[in-house]
Amino acid sequence: MVARRFFIAFPIFVFVFLIQETVINQFTLFGGGFSLFLLFALLWSALGTPEVGALTGFGAGLMMDLSQTTSGPMGQWTLILILAGFAISYLGYGDDNYRSNPISLVLTIAGAVAITRFLYLILGLLLGSDVGSLGSIFVSLLTSALWSLAIVPILMPVVTRIHETLFDSKSRI
Amino acid sequence: MRQGDNRGRLLLISLIVTSLFLITLDLRGVGLISGLRSGTQSALSPVQSVAADVFRPVGNFFSDILRLGRTRGEIEKLKAANEKLRQTLINRESADQELLQLKSTLDLAGTAKYKVVNAKVISLGSTSSFTQTITIDAGTNNGVRQNMTVINGLGLVGIVKLAYPNSSLIQLSSDPAFRVGARVARSQEIGILSGQGTRTGVLQLLDNQTNLKVGDVILARGSQNGRPFVPGVPIGEVTSVDNAAGAITQTADIKFYVNFSTLSTVAIVVSAPKLDPRDILVPRQPVPTPVPTVTIYAQPTETSTP
Repeated sequence: MVARRFFIAFPIFVFVFLIQETVINQFTLFGGGFSLFLLFALLWSALGTPEVGALTGFGAGLMMDLSQTTSGPMGQWTLILILAGFAISYLGYGDDNYRSNPISLVLTIAGAVAITRFLYLILGLLLGSDVGSLGSIFVSLLTSALWSLAIVPILMPVVTRIHETLFDSKSRI
Repeated sequence: MRQGDNRGRLLLISLIVTSLFLITLDLRGVGLISGLRSGTQSALSPVQSVAADVFRPVGNFFSDILRLGRTRGEIEKLKAANEKLRQTLINRESADQELLQLKSTLDLAGTAKYKVVNAKVISLGSTSSFTQTITIDAGTNNGVRQNMTVINGLGLVGIVKLAYPNSSLIQLSSDPAFRVGARVARSQEIGILSGQGTRTGVLQLLDNQTNLKVGDVILARGSQNGRPFVPGVPIGEVTSVDNAAGAITQTADIKFYVNFSTLSTVAIVVSAPKLDPRDILVPRQPVPTPVPTVTIYAQPTETSTP
């Protein structure tokens, strides 16, 4: 069941990855902009079970590791997103009040983006990467959280609709 | 999962172990991993190239709105004119230096020229990974190789980090992992300049006794066989000096000449000059035009008395 869900979602993730790499990266946005793919992956994870969240994080992390703009070793994003996907889905698993409240979901995703990137940074430091000045890191994390607050409300209805269409209806059948 | 489902835990552990395995393989330099990235980039670069043509004007449109009506076209024209003037100044200085060298050393010819390949920027790197990169539409098929210097009309842009058949990934000078051996044009003191993720880099001089001044021009010191850095490329100028007493080294903030957020075309130096051009490429400071002063003396006019 989990594997089936993973393979059904795979083409959608590839599509979003392509959008990120070919379209979003063309724009110079304030504070470094946002990662549509990261937002999508976290949002998708938040809608599933912890197992699906971890597996989603694994697939999404692999794709982010394959991105040309990733400087860290292959597997760095994978590890971070497995943990992030698992954690974010675990937070709301079984709590319908939480999942049905868009505001809590938006705030969770915005916080998760900043935390995920911060953990990536910490892991990068442990693996010997250079990260730049504290000021630029702070601005980058803050603006990514703010961008998430702006983008997630737009993205959320689309993602939830696709998620429902793909899984809920199929499970009913 | 909360009900003690061991299968979920096993899956999570398996995934974490797999990712750690991937990290280990990559850090050990297994070719398959780098091949995966290379393959992805080879597949993506044609799509990116098309997307750049389609979406860049859209991006420029929004950028124009943010700039309160100043059109991108006018800015590009001014930039082009400015770069042309700067290049003219550099060429003039280069010619003057060549003449001086000919006079003084007779048998040594003037400076060698860089052999370059021009390229268009087809994608700006995502900052999610705290890196500063761009992708260009020239690759190994155009003679571009890893660790070549990338410049534009203003100075050093970065180096070729990865070269694919039809595209290349450029690590910008502002990247936190970027390091370049640099020298001060005025005093010839050497140091190491590192990117900080912004348009300002940090220069660490090896000698604390150096008299570094605001406005000093910083040039690339050059590497063996011109890779990754050809010598003499302007990098930026000193904006502030941190000369703390007792410090082993002296540091300074350097503002890069290149504006990384507006890069559209760059050139890759595929062949290093035979001679070190030294300070030829130091941009000349604009000389202020003297304004004539006109002094007016007020003369009281005679008034008729009644």
